[in-house]
Amino acid sequence: MIHQYKNNGYDIIMDINSGAVHVVDDILYDAVKVLDENEEFKEIIKGDFTDSYKEKFSDEIKNNLKDKYSHDDLCEAIGEIYNLIDDETLFSKDLYEGIVENLPSMQTVVKALCLHVTHDCNLACKYCFAEEGEYHGERGLMSLEVGKKALDFIIENSGSRKNLEVDFFGGEPLMNWEVVKELVKYGRQREKEANKNFRFTLTTNGMLLNDEVMEFLNKEMSNVVISLDGRKEVNDRMRPRRGGQGSYDVIVPKFQKLAESRNQTDYYIRGTFTRYNLDFSEDVKHFADLGFKQISIEPVVAPKEADYAIREEDVNKILDEYDNLAKEFIKRRKEGKGFNFFHFMIDLDQGPCIYKRMSGCGAGSEYLAVTPWGDLYPCHQFVGNTDFLLGNVDEGIKRTDLVSKFKKCNVYSRSECKDCFAKFYCSGGCAANSFNFTGDINSTYEIGCKMQRKRVECSIMLKADEAFSE
Amino acid sequence: MKHVKTLNEKKDTMKGCGECQTCTVGNQKCENNK
Repeated sequence: MIHQYKNNGYDIIMDINSGAVHVVDDILYDAVKVLDENEEFKEIIKGDFTDSYKEKFSDEIKNNLKDKYSHDDLCEAIGEIYNLIDDETLFSKDLYEGIVENLPSMQTVVKALCLHVTHDCNLACKYCFAEEGEYHGERGLMSLEVGKKALDFIIENSGSRKNLEVDFFGGEPLMNWEVVKELVKYGRQREKEANKNFRFTLTTNGMLLNDEVMEFLNKEMSNVVISLDGRKEVNDRMRPRRGGQGSYDVIVPKFQKLAESRNQTDYYIRGTFTRYNLDFSEDVKHFADLGFKQISIEPVVAPKEADYAIREEDVNKILDEYDNLAKEFIKRRKEGKGFNFFHFMIDLDQGPCIYKRMSGCGAGSEYLAVTPWGDLYPCHQFVGNTDFLLGNVDEGIKRTDLVSKFKKCNVYSRSECKDCFAKFYCSGGCAANSFNFTGDINSTYEIGCKMQRKRVECSIMLKADEAFSE
Repeated sequence: MKHVKTLNEKKDTMKGCGECQTCTVGNQKCENNK
């Protein structure tokens, strides 16, 4: 299985099963297209591609392209195609479907927790899936006792995993700041005893950031996600304070100070775009103009009927916008004013192993969310939906049936992923998004898939541009 | 090769430790895959 596309002047061929990415010229691009559109070839390539087959399809390519390219050039390009096939980096076979069946039986360990230390918020963001921080329930702050039990729970259930992750989340976690600090202190004590390594992170709207908080974050947090939607009018429309005033003017100077104090690394300024700012590349540019170097902006997760929800008719505009953003990314990189954009950061040589690519984010098994009262959910987006209540930090996991169901979610269990070129980059997508749009955790959210595919295409084009700029 | 430039040098990862960072899986990094 391959995927061919042209973007920003580059002819690109992705070999899906090997992960190989080839930047080619027009003749090789067209020759591969002849093969990929030939149903007989696609059947034959699943078996041995013998010399007699090579000769047969060589003639096929020449007959198709003889009016466009010279005989000698075609022979040369065909030779290179067959070299790639022999190297198993073009039309390579799927070696993984057989082993994915064993993945669910691998030992279940918990290695990451989303700790909801606060179910309350000092903002009233219109699109928040936590509904002003309360997650369809009551307001509440996690006690130190529940937090400690959560850290004990992950240590006890992490098996041989050494690296454990805890994200302080909400609501707004800085509204429970003393507990956050005490939990970090407790975690540092327990990690020594248990020979573990805690990677703490925190997601904040910034309203309560001050020098004392920043100093602690810089000492203890491996990453900080700071929430802002971009231009002032965009941000203040969707992220008002409880009294209705905007939040932009209060938080931007604080975020700039935090980003500088972290040497412009180990943070993300993270925005949400809605159908009110489908020109979101302007918001990314705004982040960059404000001096931020680590940038993420993502499509809103919203019920279909919400006025700000992304609709099918918005998709083409969004895809064009990702292309615009990729061109801006190149322009600024060449001007020496580059920035990182989270969803364009594919590492072709040191990316995840194939097991990770097949099995996805680990929600519901490796990754759990903990409410202020110690209840366990498959991830932060399921919190409050009691159908997905897995257990609690006192008694552990009680719904092992649900854990098994989540573990079986992978790129091969979702029929929609079978022929998708992006499957080993998105790993089957987000179970919560799938559930919210289809009622099934093991399906896909098609609008999200279209955006994902475009982001993968842009990311790889950027790698091509980087390679040819060296 | 004259007509093709392959961007990555590395199936090579088949030979699962679970120590990588958890929530687009493809833009994560692996410390083992060196």
